[in-house]
Amino acid sequence: MVFDVFFLQQVINGLSIGCVYALMAIGFTLIFGVLNVVNFAHGEVYTIGAFVGLMVITAMAPPLLAVVPLVLAVGAVSGVGLERIAFRPFRRFTDEASQKSRAMREATLLSSLAVSIVTREIMMHIFGGDMQGIPSGYLLQQPVAIGPIMVASGSLVIFATSAVMLGALQFLLYRTQTGLGIRAVSNNQLGARYVGINTDRTIVTTFAVGSMLGATAGILVGLYDGAISPHMGFAPGVKAFVAMVMGGLSSIPGAVACALLLGVSESIATEFLSSGWKDLITYSLLVITLVFFPQGLFGHGRERA
Amino acid sequence: MDVNVPDARLMPATLAPPAAFSGRGRRFAWTLLLLAVAFGAVPAAIVGTGSSYLAQIAITTMIFVILSASLNHVTGTAGLLSIGHAAFYGIGAYAAALLSTRLGLPFIVTLPAAGLIAALFGFLVALPTMRLVSIYFAVATLGIGEMIYVVLLNWVDVTRGPMGIRGIPPISLFGWQADTLLSRYLAVAVIAVACVWVLHRLTHSYYGNALRALREDDQCADSMGINVERLKIESFVVATFFAGIAGALLAHTSAYIAPDNFRFMESILILAMVVVGGLGSLPGAVVGALFMIVLPEALRDIGDYRMIAVGATMFLSILLLPKGMLAEGTALGFVRRSFSRGWATIAGGTPVGWK
Repeated sequence: MVFDVFFLQQVINGLSIGCVYALMAIGFTLIFGVLNVVNFAHGEVYTIGAFVGLMVITAMAPPLLAVVPLVLAVGAVSGVGLERIAFRPFRRFTDEASQKSRAMREATLLSSLAVSIVTREIMMHIFGGDMQGIPSGYLLQQPVAIGPIMVASGSLVIFATSAVMLGALQFLLYRTQTGLGIRAVSNNQLGARYVGINTDRTIVTTFAVGSMLGATAGILVGLYDGAISPHMGFAPGVKAFVAMVMGGLSSIPGAVACALLLGVSESIATEFLSSGWKDLITYSLLVITLVFFPQGLFGHGRERA
Repeated sequence: MDVNVPDARLMPATLAPPAAFSGRGRRFAWTLLLLAVAFGAVPAAIVGTGSSYLAQIAITTMIFVILSASLNHVTGTAGLLSIGHAAFYGIGAYAAALLSTRLGLPFIVTLPAAGLIAALFGFLVALPTMRLVSIYFAVATLGIGEMIYVVLLNWVDVTRGPMGIRGIPPISLFGWQADTLLSRYLAVAVIAVACVWVLHRLTHSYYGNALRALREDDQCADSMGINVERLKIESFVVATFFAGIAGALLAHTSAYIAPDNFRFMESILILAMVVVGGLGSLPGAVVGALFMIVLPEALRDIGDYRMIAVGATMFLSILLLPKGMLAEGTALGFVRRSFSRGWATIAGGTPVGWK
């Protein structure tokens, strides 16, 4: 029963959704790590990735492998722009009282939200609020048979891309000077500045890296689902945010594990429940996790503020 | 903050300044002014223009004043970032709607019942989540809010799902029915003013000081003998109670509710009101609600670009005034001078805190 073919297929679908959540959750985790602020505009980066991908495809019809670097570049640019507009102005208050002030922290959170509203509305103006179809030549929905299981080619592409990007991220974080800087700033921003790290530049880099992952997730989902809209970033954004918190805020492996868990449980849930109730599973998992693990699954203990 | 304003009544009679200039005189002036706006100027404008549009905006504003003031109580004063406030607003609205359409209960019962049911849910949510700190708590409220939304949307037998509930009777009290726009506004305004007054008394008191202490550092407050757990639960329950009241008002004034009124974005809108107005500042929460409701309406003329302008204005206001239009410190000083009964003093007339 457990090895039911259909069940296995659902698990694979779930894993591919989970990979998308994971790519976004990593962006959240990286940015939360260096700034201690939730970036509410992350879902918009994902949407921008999808729309730029579509524009490039309809305008030039390049091979798929050429679309990905372009989307990565666009993601990096939008991440840097986002940081410049929504986050940097709030770092002008450097005195201790402002840094500890809750009002300031909540203000930064809402500034990213305001930027995301403006971005979404502008995209609505340019592209219209309706679903846009992806040209069928680029759709990643051809079934591929692996033994008895039929898998959509999109799932395989998502797995491969996620694996490559996770590997690259590990390399960046643990084998390069930049990655060392990112880890230092997330560990202790002031300390990092004292030892001569350019924190501003590190934060910009972090935004670029996180947004590259988010934008790639966007175009992958667009090609997999076959339709994109300016609102598409909202739901996965919230799910990825949930995965980040379940994983313990600062832990990338934790965020990835929880994102995969959410994806799989959602796709299995659709087998037992009507799709309207599917979200209930996600959020119940979240609440149950937090009740038993108040610091998330992989989080560390509470620090004195 | 102005700490050199002793309470006039505690001074010897010979030293007390004339009543018109004392804290009390000013207190009455501000109270009268605000009441005059809420019960004089706005109703006059509604009657004068006869515009149902204006009345509708005024009613919506009053409902959101309750919501943002109550969210400010838990998020601003007690420091628990809640991003699921709209769900409790929804519970109140559905409680009032179901009680009045299914059981035919009158408004005088459904209003407090909606508040109490929302508060009960708030209590049940608060029990397991109170040990979560900072963003973990925020995400838990987000998750619970979305769960409530999913239930409202999918439990079709009770809530009629996405079709919503129609035909909710208007506000009525002992045979008097608020069926004109003006009376509907007045009924909502009376309740809103009462709610804000209660929250004002809770926030601007020693009790409010305890809440602010646990916001600044709950471990420290705990070691000073403040029952942190209990205060957090209380503030959350109070906030959800008022959100429920606001929901009941929405149900009875609009006669139709649907789950989409209580989504995540609505919670974020309420949070935006609180932050734009000034986190931790009750007058700020009221001003923020006014601003965020009236602004989109004032920008109606630019049509499709309205939401862009709203987002941009919100961004600019946060950028230029990150502590809010009426920052907490300013607001506390203002409330002390203009509304409260002044300072409690110890021997020698040294002011020590709220009375």
